[in-house]
Amino acid sequence: MNNKRQNKRKVDTVALAFVAPALILYVLFIILPTVSSFYYSLTSWDGISPIVRFIGLANYREIFTSARFGNALKNTIILTVFISVFENAIALLLALAVDNVRFGKNVFRSVLYLPVLISGIVSGFIWKIMYNYNFGAINSFFRNIGADGLCQDWLGNTSLTLLMIGIVLVWKGAGYYMIIYLAGLQSVSTDVIEAAQIDGATARQRFYYITIPLISGTFTINFTLSLINGLKVFDQISVMTDGGPGFTTETIVYLLYKVGFNEGRQGFGTAVGVVLLFVIIILNTLQQKILRSREVQM
Amino acid sequence: MKKRFLSLLLSTAMIASLLAGCGSASTQDAGDADTKASETAQESAPAESEAPAETAAQESSASIVTEPTELTFIFADGDEGMKEAMNTIVKNFNDAYPDITVTIEPGNGGAYSEFLKTKDSVGEFPDIMEMRDTAMYVRAGKLAELPEDITSLFSSVTEFDGKVYTAAMGGENTDGIYYNKAYFDANGLTEPETYEEFLELCQTIKDKGDMAPLVVGGQDIWHLGFLFNKAYDDQVISQDEDFIEHCYDGSKDFSDPAFQATFEEMGDIMQYAQDGWTSTPDAQITTFLVNDMAAMLFSGTHMIKTIKEAAPDFELGWFAIPSPDGQLRLVGGSGIGGLAISAESAKDPNKKAAAEEFIRFFFSEETYKYYCETMNCLPTTSQAPLLDVDPVMLEIVDATAQADHLSPMWNGKTGNNELPPDFRNFTYKTCIEYLQGTTDLDAALEEINKTWQTAITSFNPVTGVGITVAE
Repeated sequence: MNNKRQNKRKVDTVALAFVAPALILYVLFIILPTVSSFYYSLTSWDGISPIVRFIGLANYREIFTSARFGNALKNTIILTVFISVFENAIALLLALAVDNVRFGKNVFRSVLYLPVLISGIVSGFIWKIMYNYNFGAINSFFRNIGADGLCQDWLGNTSLTLLMIGIVLVWKGAGYYMIIYLAGLQSVSTDVIEAAQIDGATARQRFYYITIPLISGTFTINFTLSLINGLKVFDQISVMTDGGPGFTTETIVYLLYKVGFNEGRQGFGTAVGVVLLFVIIILNTLQQKILRSREVQM
Repeated sequence: MKKRFLSLLLSTAMIASLLAGCGSASTQDAGDADTKASETAQESAPAESEAPAETAAQESSASIVTEPTELTFIFADGDEGMKEAMNTIVKNFNDAYPDITVTIEPGNGGAYSEFLKTKDSVGEFPDIMEMRDTAMYVRAGKLAELPEDITSLFSSVTEFDGKVYTAAMGGENTDGIYYNKAYFDANGLTEPETYEEFLELCQTIKDKGDMAPLVVGGQDIWHLGFLFNKAYDDQVISQDEDFIEHCYDGSKDFSDPAFQATFEEMGDIMQYAQDGWTSTPDAQITTFLVNDMAAMLFSGTHMIKTIKEAAPDFELGWFAIPSPDGQLRLVGGSGIGGLAISAESAKDPNKKAAAEEFIRFFFSEETYKYYCETMNCLPTTSQAPLLDVDPVMLEIVDATAQADHLSPMWNGKTGNNELPPDFRNFTYKTCIEYLQGTTDLDAALEEINKTWQTAITSFNPVTGVGITVAE
């Protein structure tokens, strides 16, 4: 009996020794900063001064009464929904096309994946130049074909700007999700497809009743990733519009950055970060619940 | 044996002389170093000289520091002219002072303020830096006080409780209209004498329809700040120089008719901006001017070099827009920013002496002349160097001398008129929304008032909230 206990203790110590390095790093770089974020969100710290003043829940009160935060939340939700839907729809279409192509499958896969390899900042700059009202490729094209009326101030027109950023995000992200969908499609057993074919199922029926249910796990992964990426959008907004014109494209993460670093209100910025953390947890839990219930296990 | 003894004797003598040299340097105390340093300030090597240190400067460097000293230096390096000027000055300084090495660290261009905060938070605050958010860093106890022999170099300085922390590198960037002189001459257009004439001029150009009257780089909101400040000076400062202080003490707010008029004046001027001004970056405005796409642009003196480099043969004209009340109000004088020394660095006597010597070197006559000419900026020193600059620049210097009112930008003021952090950007963004018609004037001003009320709960120089100075 004693021997068993000693062995268990020995095993626990050995296990702990193996886990310890990772655990220490995780606590140092994830747990401690998160806990200290909660603390700083209750202060009016400016990010520089050694003086940190405790102000209770004042930052949170401001968040929930501020029109600027409301606007940033609205923009974040619009962008997140837009990119979650369109990134996944386009990625699935691309994956189906690449999966069914007979020649040059790898070439297509690589080409469509290329935008993913470009950094957010660089892609932002490229599109910013293309969208430019006076010198951009898009308006130049319209002018060259004599369709001047179609020229728009793509990043200056407040009713278009958010959509234009959404398009860039979809363009950049779709290739990544395409690869995951492709892996999902290739994991669908050909036996099942052939059996359905023999039973007389049409291509559309095979897709809706066999392929889609069998890759529902892939949907869960992709929607979760695009949701989180949508909520974290920063690079393209920083480069393309700086949250403008006015506040038109300010998202929660961008607001966090602006108030924390530009306005010298780290306390408030951290409170925005804490709220964002809860928004992500809530939305992700809801999404997981909905998508998981539709998954089919083989 | 004799030979070996002789060589041993010679070696010993050489080592002894070397040690003696070190000894004389190390006996120099920091206080003495300060005095010596100020004496040698005038002996510094000229900025444009490619020849390294002169003997006098080499000798003097030994008395400034007691051991080889390294300093880090950061400045906003987004502008090519600034980069060129600073690289030359630092190189010349390092050549002149072999015991001191100033190393330039990248300043991250446009996002300089954020970058400096990040450097501070990761423990890499530079020894010397171009300081912009002076008040914030002074309150945080991050900057060292500059000695009297440096502050006395300037015609005016910004004080915090009687102490000076920054050496203004150039006068505040005086704004005005840069215009296409050839186009004006060809169309019989003349420089306006009044504000109304300026608006008429814009309307005339707009009616001609061959180019936009005014190019505005509204995508960079700080660029819009040039025009906003003009309107603010015209409407608010003309009536109340302490408007911001009065907003802090609650006797005024941003619904004030004068502040409303600022937005309206912006609306009057901005109707003449080019199509797509909200998505045009500052970097593109020169292209508009020199390619006959716009007749005028409103910006600071830094534009002269940019325009001349873009089109050396471009016929450039300049005029200041008078205020609606007929007065000439310009941005000018010494501002709040400038070269500063880290308080942490100043704890080391060698670093302190070396950093102060670098600032003296920067403002020595030839070096400072070179800097002002390269940057096209107005000198801030009381014994200003004679500049060999573009005639347009001389015109601006004359205008600042004749101006009825000369002051820093509204966001560059100190004391009870200092703005809460980033309130300026919020105002500009709200102004853009008003100019685009996304919001009306009442709603815009109400939003500014709300943000102000929030901002002053954590920063109010009048009540002292958020002003506590770190020891």
